[in-house]
Amino acid sequence: MQRNQIIRTRLGWTLLDGVERLVSALWPARFKGSVGRVLLLPAVLLIGILVIGLGYMIEYSFHELDLSTYRLKDEYSLVNYAVIADRPVYMRVLNRTLLAALIVSVTTVFLAFPYAYMLVRTRSALTRKFLLIALFLPFFIGQVVRAYGWLIILGKQGLINSLLEGLGLPTLNLIYNYPSVIFGLIQYMLPFAILLIVPAVAAISEDVELASEGLGANWISTFRYIVLPLARPGLIGAFVVVFTLTLTDFAMPEILGGGTTDFIASAIYDSFFQLSNAGLGAALSMILVMIGSVIVAAIFYLAGTGTLGVREQSR
Amino acid sequence: MSIILDTKTNRRTVLKTGAAAVGLLAIPSVLRAQEKPKEIIVRAWGGAWGDALKAGVADPFTEATGIKVRLDFTEDNEIKPKIWAAVDQGRVPPIHVNWDTTTNATISALRGATVDLSDLSNLKGLLPLAKPSGLEGYPLVNTYAYVYVCAYRPEAFPDGPPTSWNVLIDPKFKGRIALYDDGIGFNPISVIVGGGTFADIPGNMEPGYEFYRKLKKNEPLLGEDADFTTWFQKGEIDVACTISVNARAAKESGIDVAWTVPKEGCKVDTDGLWVPKGLPANEEHWAKEFVNFALTKDAQQKWCSMLGLPPVYPGIEPPADLVGDPSYPTTPEDFAKLVSVPSPVLVENQPIWFAKFNEIFQG
Repeated sequence: MQRNQIIRTRLGWTLLDGVERLVSALWPARFKGSVGRVLLLPAVLLIGILVIGLGYMIEYSFHELDLSTYRLKDEYSLVNYAVIADRPVYMRVLNRTLLAALIVSVTTVFLAFPYAYMLVRTRSALTRKFLLIALFLPFFIGQVVRAYGWLIILGKQGLINSLLEGLGLPTLNLIYNYPSVIFGLIQYMLPFAILLIVPAVAAISEDVELASEGLGANWISTFRYIVLPLARPGLIGAFVVVFTLTLTDFAMPEILGGGTTDFIASAIYDSFFQLSNAGLGAALSMILVMIGSVIVAAIFYLAGTGTLGVREQSR
Repeated sequence: MSIILDTKTNRRTVLKTGAAAVGLLAIPSVLRAQEKPKEIIVRAWGGAWGDALKAGVADPFTEATGIKVRLDFTEDNEIKPKIWAAVDQGRVPPIHVNWDTTTNATISALRGATVDLSDLSNLKGLLPLAKPSGLEGYPLVNTYAYVYVCAYRPEAFPDGPPTSWNVLIDPKFKGRIALYDDGIGFNPISVIVGGGTFADIPGNMEPGYEFYRKLKKNEPLLGEDADFTTWFQKGEIDVACTISVNARAAKESGIDVAWTVPKEGCKVDTDGLWVPKGLPANEEHWAKEFVNFALTKDAQQKWCSMLGLPPVYPGIEPPADLVGDPSYPTTPEDFAKLVSVPSPVLVENQPIWFAKFNEIFQG
């Protein structure tokens, strides 16, 4: 009986040794340090494809459209960039987009923080469940469907105007204007911001807040000097994500803007598809990428990459 | 003599035998070229447009050939670059037949992305409208004409339909008017209603741009075909420049909409069908057969009657509700009341007009 057990144990060891040798042959010990890098490969590959696409876009942006063949000319030129600089409409659309991105980002982060704080700190399971459902429900409804939902509510014969009419009050123009686009975007971006702020708030130990209050700080001081600085990674992250998503948004201005409050993404779409001018579309895309990158880089420069919880280079 | 005769006979025999052999060898490739695909994909517009194509052409084509027809509702402007990229890269294009505006189809022809349709048997006897202007042969074939009418809500016009396009700048309708978001269908009309003449197009579009500046103050909505129906349905607008098909479809679905051709006229245009290059030989053959089928009397009658548009097949009577309707031109006199800009002029100038339209309305 004991002998059988010894044989089984030895057999097990032999088997394990075999597996170990096989693993060593396939993945030698000297490669162990590069496991992380190998796991990074798919992501690097994806970004690489994106960079190749970006390279093509840069190339296209330096070719003018030949209207007799509707192909880009072979010669390199700055015509597309000159056209953008020459037509004030592009600057107006760009300014409109940047202003919207700023308003939406600030408002969304402002609204998202108390929601995230409540979600993390509440002791009521019912409240937490309600907040979670309210947070995730919009994710199951696409952006286009939500925008059409707003048409039903805010339209001239929509819910709000019907109520106003019922009360004998004049109806309002609640849709097909800039404020309605901003409103739709805030509603769309709010869950993204909350989801980014929640981990930052959850990382703040409640004991720290209690200690602050124990040392005599009121809730405003605790919030100002303890919670807000510690939640900074989430706040900055949410701001950057909402800002970049708004900067490139297409559907909301298209549906809620009534055609006269286009964002830069609409101008890019029009260049590529309505005008069949890939050169102009690429030049506009490059400008958008550059502006977005510079702003995000400036935020990280001012706030430091450490704000996102990323380990900063040791000095 | 007999030797000469023998020689001739021999040569003829050899030639005949050779020709027969070549013919026999060629049979498999000819058969392969006509081998039926399981389905063909036709890009189409949705709603009333797609329904009409399905009932008038696609279903009867399937009945006649056994080949299924799948309608692809990708936006016409979005399918264009996909086809171009496929043709340039030597890939099989994503669709077999493109139902397209003549202007867009002409652009694709200029890029060399279209198959020549000159050998279609049903081209004979069609109205001259079927032939694309400014292009060699038939890189596309026009299938009907359509008019960008002045559609309105009768309830908002108790004194009768609007008689002039100036209704669009009437402050009474502020925020309750609509145009296409690229000005398509209204650009030439804007010149005439703005005080210019047809001769000003395309050299002097300023009267039109001036009209647009006034129109902008009246806060128009800008959209696509589907938007007009939604806006009329939800009571968002009272008057719009849209294709008669959309107005008629809205009316048929119970929305209170009527249409008229104001005194300045309306733009008349055409749509057509084309086959992209790069399809396998058999699929190209049946794609062309689909286009040929769409030009038969029966297909034209059903398809165009459902759309309420004058077909390129001659002698087809208009649907009962459109008899005498100015948006259904059939005679040269009818067409004279409308504004038609040749496709080459549109192809060359539409990007410029669109840029200006955008500049005015996005300001």
